[in-house]
Amino acid sequence: MKETKESSRRKFIKSAGIALAGLTLLGGGIGYYKSVDGPKFTRKPNFLRPPGAIDEETFVYACIKCGLCVQICPVEAIKLADINKGLNYGTPYIDVREQACDFSCDSLQCVETCPTAVLNFKPFEIAGGNAIEKYNKEHKATNPGFNPFSVQIVAMKSRVRMGKATINKETCLAYHNKGFNGRPRGKDFKGIYRSPDSQTGKPSPLSEKVFDRKICNLCVTECPIGDNAIVMLASGKEAKLRPQVLDGCTGCGVCVMVCPTQQASIIVEPIEEDSHV
Amino acid sequence: MFNNPKKKSPLPAKSLKEMPHYKAGITYKEWHKPKPETNKWRNIRWSVLIAVNGLFVVSYLFGLSILEGSLSGSRALGFYLIDTYNALQVIIISLFDGHFAALTINFWIGFSTILILSIFGGRTYCSWVCPYHLLAEFAEKLHNYFVKKKKIKEHTYSIYLRFVFWIGFLFVALFTKNIVFEDINPVGIISRSLIYGPSLLLLWIGALLLFEIAYSKRFWCRYACPVGATWAITGKMAMLDVKFDLDKCGYCRDCQEVCLVPHTLWFVEKGKATQEVHFTDSDCTRCGLCIDICSGNALNFTIKGMDKI
Repeated sequence: MKETKESSRRKFIKSAGIALAGLTLLGGGIGYYKSVDGPKFTRKPNFLRPPGAIDEETFVYACIKCGLCVQICPVEAIKLADINKGLNYGTPYIDVREQACDFSCDSLQCVETCPTAVLNFKPFEIAGGNAIEKYNKEHKATNPGFNPFSVQIVAMKSRVRMGKATINKETCLAYHNKGFNGRPRGKDFKGIYRSPDSQTGKPSPLSEKVFDRKICNLCVTECPIGDNAIVMLASGKEAKLRPQVLDGCTGCGVCVMVCPTQQASIIVEPIEEDSHV
Repeated sequence: MFNNPKKKSPLPAKSLKEMPHYKAGITYKEWHKPKPETNKWRNIRWSVLIAVNGLFVVSYLFGLSILEGSLSGSRALGFYLIDTYNALQVIIISLFDGHFAALTINFWIGFSTILILSIFGGRTYCSWVCPYHLLAEFAEKLHNYFVKKKKIKEHTYSIYLRFVFWIGFLFVALFTKNIVFEDINPVGIISRSLIYGPSLLLLWIGALLLFEIAYSKRFWCRYACPVGATWAITGKMAMLDVKFDLDKCGYCRDCQEVCLVPHTLWFVEKGKATQEVHFTDSDCTRCGLCIDICSGNALNFTIKGMDKI
């Protein structure tokens, strides 16, 4: 069948019309779904954007879904969202109950590697630089043995604000004056992390560790940030020791991962970090 | 581009004395007899395609810094690369959202590298790298088989439909402030599924392939994919091209038969050529199938302007 110019033009206009209608439906549909459902989901506890994430609205389009942050993470905390996760397809998230960010990369590599800076390295760079400057001022004679990285690392990870932990007093063992003995998440749990008392300095499986505590304080002892983030404080009439989350909490979620109760008694509520623009 | 050979008046069809078999002193049948199947370029191309996608997977599996990321954005030996259409959507939303200045140096490096490559090589990416292409190539074979058996009818559309989608998805991105196209982009979906584990969206890829097998040959690549359409635009002046020598052509049209984008080979038909030498246009994916099949070696890869140096 030979097509005339006229009939092929008509055919093009017809199919272009169908295509446009399809696009409008698709765009409208997905756009509506995302505006209604997307942000709500990311505000669910324990589902966090990786460190340094800019505001969610900009994040969803400026993230090009390459997965470089997924690749570089040594503990494989970051995953790319599938469509059934309610997040934007292909964008990175951390499910801290399954695998928390334990900062064992020591340099926020996921942020550094991001090509579009939706994980924004600027604040960490500044925090690290300031820390070194401050150290040098305080220790006037420059110590030749001084390794600036250790100071920088602490400052950088302390600057992270993925979310903030809150303790569920109803179920927390410490609030019921209970201790904990055994493996917090069972033998088959896959999560790994670098415990503060680790000898090797490398992350190891949580399932390999056996704890024995008179009053459960795993969230406090395993926290990679330490005293600024969560401490055991004496409170109440009997002055019993109970975990208290402080302002230094980065929302890394290691406490959530190690919490031995059936449902984690500590959760991380996501906070959207400051936009860099 | 500026001197469109399609608009010139065609040269007269070659006479018998000018035909390649006559010059070689053999009959047409002998000249045109099926070559032993070499499939040289096809094999090279498939190997490259599988190697590139394999390299992504291996780099992730073993934590190597060779080719990290996925096809929507990656880092090759530390050098950033970003898919042009994906980047265009980010740029256009950023422009209207007031975040244009926040786009990073690495973003621009990745964007311009691929852009420059496409200006040099047009849609070469499509048949040499795109994982969906390989699947669609098999789907196309199946489709052709069913058409031959008269089980299904062929449905074609205008190739300009691509540009409706190209502009359309940019607008959708702009209005939803979301890169909606990435949710249905087979390139990204397959690439991410290979590297980071399967996604539910593979069902969509399956549906697309079924549609291509049963209804319209190569629907996505030909009429829809804005990723390829981008490079069809930027590759207008591409140097890497398939060169056609009218002198060696025997008008058999085998090349059009195997071509994945047959309209680019319009000049092989008898009496259509307007010049002694033609180059394929920017829709050509440089797959090399026509080169493999040509009895007279009238088609060859070439880099335009190299002979002048």
